[in-house]
Amino acid sequence: MKKYWILSLAGLLILGLSATGYAAEKSLLLKNANIITASGENIAGGDILIQGTKIVRVGKNLPAGLDIEVIDLAGRWVMPGIIDSHSHIAVEGDVNEMGDLMTSEVDVRDVINPEDVNIYYALTGGVTSIHTMHGSANPIGGKGIVLKMRWGKSAQEMIFQGAPLTSKWALGENPKQTNFQGPGRARYPKSRMGVEAAIRKEFELAKDYARQWKDYEKKLEVSQNSKGKIPAPLPPKKDNRLEGIADILNGKLWVRCHAYQSEEMLSIMRLCQEYGVKLVCFEHGLEGYRITNELVKYGVAISTFADSWAYKWEAYNTMPQAAALAAKRGVLVAINSDDPERMRHLFNDAAKTVRFGGMSEAEAIKTLTINPAKIMGIDRWVGTIEAGKDADLAVFNRHPLDPYTVCMLTMVDGKVYFDRARYLDDRKKGEEEKKKKEAEAKTPKEKKNGAEV
Amino acid sequence: MKKAGRRLIVVFWAMVLSGLAFSTFLHSDEELHKVWAVKDVKIVRPAGPALEKATIVIRDGLFEAVGVGLPVPPDAEVIDGSNLTAYPGLIDGLGQSLLKLPEEKFDMAKFYSGEYTDKDKGITPDLRAYDYVNLTKSVFEKYYRYGFTAAQVMPDRGILTGRSSIFCLSDPDRAKALLLKDTCLGIGFNSPRVMVYPSSLMGIYAYLKQVFQDSAYFKMNESRWLKDMTGIKRPAYNSHFENLADYASGKKPVIFLCRNQHDIRRALNLAAEFKLNFVICDLGNEASAVIPELKKAKARVLCTVGFKAPVTSLYSQRGKAEREKAEKEVYPKNPAKLAEAGIPVAFSSLGTDDPKSFMEGILKAVEAGLPSDKALAALSVNPAAFFGLDKALGTIEPGKIANLILAEGDILVKEAKVKYAFAEGKKFELKEVKAKEGEKPTVNVTGKWEFTLAQAGFKFTIDFTQEEAALSGKMISPFGAFDFTGGVVSASDISFEMTISAGGQEIDLYFSATVEGDTMRGTVVQGTAGSDEFTAKRIPG
Repeated sequence: MKKYWILSLAGLLILGLSATGYAAEKSLLLKNANIITASGENIAGGDILIQGTKIVRVGKNLPAGLDIEVIDLAGRWVMPGIIDSHSHIAVEGDVNEMGDLMTSEVDVRDVINPEDVNIYYALTGGVTSIHTMHGSANPIGGKGIVLKMRWGKSAQEMIFQGAPLTSKWALGENPKQTNFQGPGRARYPKSRMGVEAAIRKEFELAKDYARQWKDYEKKLEVSQNSKGKIPAPLPPKKDNRLEGIADILNGKLWVRCHAYQSEEMLSIMRLCQEYGVKLVCFEHGLEGYRITNELVKYGVAISTFADSWAYKWEAYNTMPQAAALAAKRGVLVAINSDDPERMRHLFNDAAKTVRFGGMSEAEAIKTLTINPAKIMGIDRWVGTIEAGKDADLAVFNRHPLDPYTVCMLTMVDGKVYFDRARYLDDRKKGEEEKKKKEAEAKTPKEKKNGAEV
Repeated sequence: MKKAGRRLIVVFWAMVLSGLAFSTFLHSDEELHKVWAVKDVKIVRPAGPALEKATIVIRDGLFEAVGVGLPVPPDAEVIDGSNLTAYPGLIDGLGQSLLKLPEEKFDMAKFYSGEYTDKDKGITPDLRAYDYVNLTKSVFEKYYRYGFTAAQVMPDRGILTGRSSIFCLSDPDRAKALLLKDTCLGIGFNSPRVMVYPSSLMGIYAYLKQVFQDSAYFKMNESRWLKDMTGIKRPAYNSHFENLADYASGKKPVIFLCRNQHDIRRALNLAAEFKLNFVICDLGNEASAVIPELKKAKARVLCTVGFKAPVTSLYSQRGKAEREKAEKEVYPKNPAKLAEAGIPVAFSSLGTDDPKSFMEGILKAVEAGLPSDKALAALSVNPAAFFGLDKALGTIEPGKIANLILAEGDILVKEAKVKYAFAEGKKFELKEVKAKEGEKPTVNVTGKWEFTLAQAGFKFTIDFTQEEAALSGKMISPFGAFDFTGGVVSASDISFEMTISAGGQEIDLYFSATVEGDTMRGTVVQGTAGSDEFTAKRIPG
């Protein structure tokens, strides 16, 4: 069912796709908007001044000038571009490297597909940045990356410069493969304890690997100082997998760990502390509300769903209020999509935390903006509407948490990448043109028939 | 006499079946004439204007002299070229159809045990095209008909797909036909679809990086050990690393089999990181989307001409109508755009079914804007230069291998006819299928027929395709499947020739028969081995 829907939408979008990404050459002034800043008070009837890719001023009655293009938003709502901290779109090929247990050598950057139409769909839902990564088949998987939804640009140009690389981990059923059961798929580990033991073992291997290189460098120095008397030692074999683990151990990679249950989260937090690993976030973390003190203590966030409870056994012990409860206790919470369809209405999901969990509207907006920005290490540039930040904005016809709200316009780096009015207009024109062409194709045929008669 | 002949053929088939056949009767006409002179011919050249009324002298497989007003050697057989145009024999830059890899049956036991071999993973740098090439005269004829006299052959399955060889389509004996062996290593981005590392595209990329490193590391260690065996631990031997070493060090070229523009970017990244000597094979016809990157990397591109949109493309994601439109209007422009940007381009037959559809695709590219001189270069000098054969192939010049096409009309325009093909100085005359005198066919034999040889008692199947008087088909026999073209149907009589290989021998067979409804009765002649009678029945369905 879902697939058909996606296909028909793909058909409808044919023309709209080509019309996106027009840039503001001059400075741009967005006037008369209800601004949800996500950093302080909301501004009713406020203005945003954009120069190049940046927001330069936010306030009321900002002066327009000759060289400033003005867009009157006439009371529409503007929020910071939505940031999806858990996504798998724009990944070409299989989203999981199932062939091995530890795959820290794989890198999503090598397989970004900038032509994935889901990037455009993301824009239609106000999403401007995503953290895209591979699946959860491996206790320690490969590298993930933050992308800006610069639709039409190359993979390299979509990469969010400055965003730290991430390392995708997974605990629980997926790596112990209850969810990947089948013949020929027997793979260690088969238990939750096995998953953790495998991670610990890999850390030790990487430490030993680092030691071998250090020894080599020492011996090399001795050889170089001996003026040819001592032959140069053989270097150890370069192992990209262990180098990936080493990058985790030295904090270069930010760990994003797929986990549902509280015990395994507690356990892995202790392990990460022991080895000095930068564990920033539990993906899903549905039982995070049970261990909020520990999450706060270790400074680990959760990137979770607004709903999707009890869809598998390790997700049973949670509830609609989980995200709100965790946030209330001081845990950094992001609402993510994990799905290209859900990605287009993340604002509805944030609204659920208000409706069912009693979260404040301001907090709910943060779960889509500044909170994921912090988790992804990009909060210096995006996540709020403030002077100095990237002009990544989403404009809605109603309050974004209103169930009937529609995203009207999405802007990345001060450029409009999605404009619903323009898109609908283009679509209409396209349909008319198609009808005209069909009519033209019919006419000569009829004439010919007439002549024959 | 007749009886003796029959006995002979029984013996012959018995020998064929036992794999002991010898073919003393395989004398071909081309062995007898080794000196040719083509007179008054127009020579088309990949660069520069055409030479009018020129003479081409071929001796012992090489061009001896080429020019205007040359004397004809007294020992030469003369071909009047006054109505013909001469082209250098065309080169298929990379193909698969001459390759007959053993069919791999997937062993389900592996699926349960999870114990896969490198072959299952698509890691086969040891696989040599030379060992599996299948050269037959009937296949050559198909190539000649569209002007091809040389081809590079490479396994294309998996990740490290195997090593290519380049053949002159001059002799069914691969040892004689070979131009260069183990030339290029194929690198593909196809996951093996079994749950074994690397099973994903990102895994394949990571694997390739590691394996290039490892092979260089192995070579370094090995050479250190061979230099001084004292005090150094020798590295364990690994045939993959050994086979990869020359490619990983940039000594020999790799061919990246790229399914779309993103594969091309990946290939360029790998090539830059490991300083590879490389050629891009553009299976997705999207190289024109990465022209700046290709120029920067000084890349050489093998264009395919199937013009199918990759699944990753926006056109494909937008539905069937958009995809088909792009396949008609956008993708055929790819070679023209690359050539215009000054990127060296050659053509590859990968993605097309046979030489006929390959040439059709090339003509589509010409129609879509590729100048015909650039198309000719992409079929001659460019592929020769890509793979180090520019001193031997690609132009009609003294000293080069005598691969030559004589055609009526322009072969890079539709409806030209190749009249003669010379492959390494061997002349092949392409008879026109319909030109044979005959009556209008009164039968249509299209479909499968079961043949029974009367004396040998041997059975096989032929699947015929009849288009008016033209007959082609495929024999399926215990020795394998063999194609033929050029058969003729006249009234209710059919005749066709084919070459089969059995027991390590090439055997020419000449069939003639009279068709009556769903049965036919006729004779098959096998050179000096004699003849046999046969009957055949149409297999219903």
